[in-house]
Amino acid sequence: MNSAEQPLLKLENITKRFKNLTAVNGVNLEVSSGEKLVIIGPSGSGKSTLLRAINLLEEIEEGAIIFEGRQVGYVMRAGKRHLDHPRAISTLRAEIGMVFQHFHLFPHMTVLGNVMEGPLTVQRKPADEARTIATDMLAKVGLSDKRDVFPATLSGGQKQRVAIARALAMRPKLMLFDEPTSALDPELVGEVFDTIHTLADEGMTMIIVTHHMGFARELADRVIFMESGNFLAQGTPEELFSAGQDNERIKGFLNRLL
Amino acid sequence: MALLFLWALSGACLAATDYDQLFRQSSDLMAQGDLGGALELLGTVPPPAAGEEAGAYVSSRMQAARILAAQKETDRAVAACREVLKLFPDNSEARNFVTALEQQRKPGWHTVLSDTLRFLPSLAKGALMTLLLVFCTMLVSPLGGLLIALGRISTVRPISGFCWFIIWFFRGTPLLLQLFFIYYGLPSLGITLAPLTAAVIGLGLNYSAYLGEIIRGAIQSIDHGQMEAAKAIGMTYGQAMRRVIVPQTYKRLMPPVGNEFIALIKDTALVSTIAMVELMRAADQLFNTYFNITALALAAVIYLVLTTIFTFIFEKIEYRAGIYEQR
Ligand SMILES: Nc1ncnc2c1ncn2[C@@H]1O[C@H](COP(=O)(O)OP(=O)(O)OP(=O)(O)O)[C@@H](O)[C@H]1O
Ligand SMILES: [Mg+2]
Repeated sequence: MNSAEQPLLKLENITKRFKNLTAVNGVNLEVSSGEKLVIIGPSGSGKSTLLRAINLLEEIEEGAIIFEGRQVGYVMRAGKRHLDHPRAISTLRAEIGMVFQHFHLFPHMTVLGNVMEGPLTVQRKPADEARTIATDMLAKVGLSDKRDVFPATLSGGQKQRVAIARALAMRPKLMLFDEPTSALDPELVGEVFDTIHTLADEGMTMIIVTHHMGFARELADRVIFMESGNFLAQGTPEELFSAGQDNERIKGFLNRLL
Repeated sequence: MALLFLWALSGACLAATDYDQLFRQSSDLMAQGDLGGALELLGTVPPPAAGEEAGAYVSSRMQAARILAAQKETDRAVAACREVLKLFPDNSEARNFVTALEQQRKPGWHTVLSDTLRFLPSLAKGALMTLLLVFCTMLVSPLGGLLIALGRISTVRPISGFCWFIIWFFRGTPLLLQLFFIYYGLPSLGITLAPLTAAVIGLGLNYSAYLGEIIRGAIQSIDHGQMEAAKAIGMTYGQAMRRVIVPQTYKRLMPPVGNEFIALIKDTALVSTIAMVELMRAADQLFNTYFNITALALAAVIYLVLTTIFTFIFEKIEYRAGIYEQR
C-alpha cells in the first residue's frame, strides 16, 4: 500500500470506559488526508471522549490508534497494553492540533506568546523563528493587531481564533475541534467558522464536533452521528440531513436542534 | 592588682562569715571615695544556697543599691534590687526601694530618648541578624516548597509518600523542638552545626513544609484545561508545569506566602534559644542588664517596621504578578 492511499488516521475498535460507563464503544474510523469529518450527536454520546482519545488525553481500554500507518500511543509489554513513553506521546500530540470549547488560552502570556509557545518550548525553535511563525498564524486568523495584549482583553471569538492559531503554529497534520463555538455568543460564531473554513480550503485534515448543522452541512465531506458511544450512522451531509432521513433517532435529534 | 587584693580580702572575710566586717570595710571604702571598690566588695557576697541564711546577701545587694542610687546610677540600682527580688519576691525593702527609684526616675521623653540612643546599636545589630535569617529562609523555602508540592502531586507513590511525611512531621511538631533537635540533637549523631547554619536549616525545612502545602493548593487550583491545552500542543508534564501551570500560581501564592514570611520574621525570635543573637535576644539581653522596658518596646517597634515593609512589598508583588488579568 502506498502512502497516498493509506488513511492519515485509523481507529480500530476504540473503547473507553469510565468505571462501568462505556463512553466510547468499539468505534472504527478511517480519516483520509484532507478530509473534513464532522461528528454530531446528543450530549453525553462520547464525542469529546473520542476526540480526546485520539490525542491521548484520554487513555483507552481497548483498540488501536494508527496515525500515518504507525500504531501510536500504546505499547505491548509482557502481553499487557501500556501507555507509550511520555516523550512519544508528546511527539504525537505535537502533530495533532486540538481546539477546545473553552479555548484554554494561557492567561499569563500575550496573544503572541500563546502562539509562539509551541514552536518555542516544544519544537525548541529559536525565538525569532517562533515569532515569525506566530506572526504568520495570527495574520491567518486575522488578529495581527492583538499580538501584544493578554487574552483577558479579547472577546470569545477572538480567543478561539488565537487558540486555533496556537494549534496551527505547530504545523499539525490533523486538527481536532471540540465544539469550538459552543461557548460563544451567537454573533461571534461566524468569525470562528470563517477561520475554520479558511483552513479547510487550504486542505487541512480535520475532525469537528459541533451542534451547528448548517456549518456541518457546508463544510463536511462526511458526517457521523454518534449516540451512546457508537456510530449510529454516517454519510455525506446530503444523505444524513435529507428530508427522507428514515432513522427516527437522527430525525428526532435534528428536529430538536432546528 | 587592687581587684586581686580585694578578692583575697573578701575571701578571708567570707571564710569567717563575718559579713559585718565586710560591710564596715565597704563603708570605709565609700568614705574614702572609692565607690567602685565598695561595690566590688559587696558584689562578692554569693547568693545563699538552699537553706542558708539570706541576710548577708540581701544586705549586700541593698547596700550596693543605695550606693548606686546615690551615684544616680538608677538603672543599676534597680538591677541590684531586682536581683534580690528574683530570689525573694516578697522582700519589702527591695520592693519599696525599686518603687521609690522608679518614681524618682519619672521617665520623661529625654530618658526614653537617651535609652533609645543607648540601645539602638545592639538592637540594630540584632535586627540585621534577624533580616539575614529571614532572607536565607526566603531563599531556601520557596524552592523546597515547590519540590515538596510537586512531589505531593506526583503519581509515583514513594515520592508523594515521602513529601507527605515531610509535611506531616514539620507541620506537626513545634519549630522550637525542630531547632533544638538540629542544634543540640544532631551533634550526638556526629553532625555539629554552627548556630546560623542550624537556624537556617530548621527555619528552611519548616517553612518549606508550610509553603509546600500552599504551593500544592495553588497548583491544583489552576483550571485543569490549562494542563490539557499545554499537553495538546505537545508539552511534556515538566514543560507544562514550568511554562504554564507554575507561573499562573504566582498571583494566588502572594497573599498566603506573604503571610508566611511575616510569620517568619517573628518566628526567627525562636532561634535565640540556640545561641543566636538576633533582635529578640538582643532586646532580652538589654532588658536583663538594665531592667528597662524601653529595650523591649524598641524591639517591638523594629518588628513592626519590618513586618509593615514586608506587607507593603508583597502587596506590590501581588499586583504585578496579576497584571495580565486586567482588562
Ligand atoms: N472524566 C470522566 N469521568 C467519568 N465520566 C466521564 C468523564 N468524561 C466523560 N464522562 C462520561 O462519558 C460520557 C461521554 O462524555 P463526552 O464528554 O464524551 O460526551 P459528549 O458527546 O462530548 O457530550 P457533549 O455534547 O455534552 O459535550 C458521558 O456520559 C460523560 O458523563
Ligand atoms: Mg463534549
